Amino acid sequence: MALLEARGVTKRFGGLAAVSDVSFDLREGEILGLIGPNGSGKTTLVNVVTGALPASAGDVSFAGRSLRGVPAWEIGRRGVSRTFQVVKPFRNLTVVDNVMVGALFGAGGTRDVAGARRQAEEILDFVGLAHRAAAPAEGLNVPERKRMELARALAMRPRVLMLDEVMAGLNPTEIDAAVALIKRVRERGVSLIVIEHVMKAIRSVSDRILVLYHGEKLTEGEPAAVLNDTQVIAAYLGRRYAESVHA
Amino acid sequence: MTGARRRLLPVAVAAAVVVALGLAPGVLSPFLVQFAINLFMLAVLAESWNIIGGFTGYASFGNVAFLGVGAYTTGILLTKAALPLAVALPAGGLAAALLAGLVGLPILRLKGHYFAIATLGVAETMREVVYNVEITGAGTGLVMPIARSPLLFFYLMLGILVAVTAVNWWLAGSRFGYGLIAIREDEDAAVAMGIPTARYKTAAFALSALFAGLTGGVFAYWITFIDPDAVFKVLVTIQMIIMAVFGGAGTIVGPLLGALVLASVSELLSTQVVTLAELFYGVIVILVVLFMPKGLVDVIQRRAFSVRAMATALREYRI
Repeated sequence: MALLEARGVTKRFGGLAAVSDVSFDLREGEILGLIGPNGSGKTTLVNVVTGALPASAGDVSFAGRSLRGVPAWEIGRRGVSRTFQVVKPFRNLTVVDNVMVGALFGAGGTRDVAGARRQAEEILDFVGLAHRAAAPAEGLNVPERKRMELARALAMRPRVLMLDEVMAGLNPTEIDAAVALIKRVRERGVSLIVIEHVMKAIRSVSDRILVLYHGEKLTEGEPAAVLNDTQVIAAYLGRRYAESVHA
Repeated sequence: MTGARRRLLPVAVAAAVVVALGLAPGVLSPFLVQFAINLFMLAVLAESWNIIGGFTGYASFGNVAFLGVGAYTTGILLTKAALPLAVALPAGGLAAALLAGLVGLPILRLKGHYFAIATLGVAETMREVVYNVEITGAGTGLVMPIARSPLLFFYLMLGILVAVTAVNWWLAGSRFGYGLIAIREDEDAAVAMGIPTARYKTAAFALSALFAGLTGGVFAYWITFIDPDAVFKVLVTIQMIIMAVFGGAGTIVGPLLGALVLASVSELLSTQVVTLAELFYGVIVILVVLFMPKGLVDVIQRRAFSVRAMATALREYRI
């Protein structure tokens, strides 16, 4: 049995189906890449899985239990955590305080504030942000903000972590560092869903890739096969480019 | 300084202040005792508003409703039911907290000015209710039994002030407080991080109301006569907000400092320049919001007294 199972997940906004009948599995210890052009429904899918938006149809189960009707905060506490594409730092708090909130309220959350601080410091060290622990969150630059977002999610001790474009806006060196970091997160026993537009990164980090297009699942499989798929190339770059590549 | 000392020093200072205040009535003139009671009340209101408005970031414009409900509950229990103050006073606080819990569940789903307007509506509605029911004395008001000594009110208000300040201090370093601050900073992120936001917001609102209600009960007994216009005045809510923001919303000492400074200024102005007092008060508030938007505590902590620092604040917080 997979750790996270989505079956026929659909999300409609009025007449528009942002996500339509999508099913997938995330296995224990796996990194699943989630790609698709802008507006293909990737973030909506994350919102539905984490309970931020209710599904119009379909079901998601985590560790064998359905998440239907479970409030978003409870899903977070059960061990499904996420980062936001547009980062949402607690601006007026320091970096370590930001991460502490995750340790206080996540899976195995603690009332022990001093203990949560130690955990937060350990995780900041892990993501390479220890030197900024005491800085106010609003003073961080873009790569630092992305790392803090990741640290906050990790402090929740998740079993499933969904990363929504944590590499957007990073330069090639920073992307290499981010890929290495994501692989180390997996080594901590976390299964990941990684949404990304940077193809080089998604190819090297993913065990499997799921492609969304207009809210539907276009294909799913090994990175090399998926990224050479004519349909996928057409979805990203247009049909004529796909034909010229495969001509 | 070690961590333990850093935590202990403010507590020691606070304890010394409380002891000094406790001994103060021995040397204060009757006028100053009355001023102190009024000051304590304003400080309690500012600190209690701080729980929902400062820590949680939900600017309530209706907290006077809780003062009023506390005043009337205590008043009715004292006069109609002839219960002792030791019962009537906590009942007033609990009634206010209960009201906050009930109205909080629906209106805490609103944000920003929608929430502000809804809370304003709650206060106005409560006033109309009190006007139109028999047991409150309707428009004619409620006359309290005569109290023995102003010292009772002095120590009651001081006690509530110590309690509400202790709660604010606890919030600043506890899991519950971190949850509220996270809600203030970004509610979507707070939910994703496992915080049951609806429950937390309602609890904060009820906690805020509890102290406003307790103060209301003491206030009713102290001024011996209450009517709907006196205890459901919108202006009182505005005062709570101004004092908390002036001193520093979301800090422990800020609302205390705000209440102290503004109550003193207001008292001085009204004895020195009677006619222009309100105008001066208004001008001071405008200047503070423009030049010290994060409050007195922030200015003191950063030692940003210079004209340049104030000009920077003006630029940064311009909408």
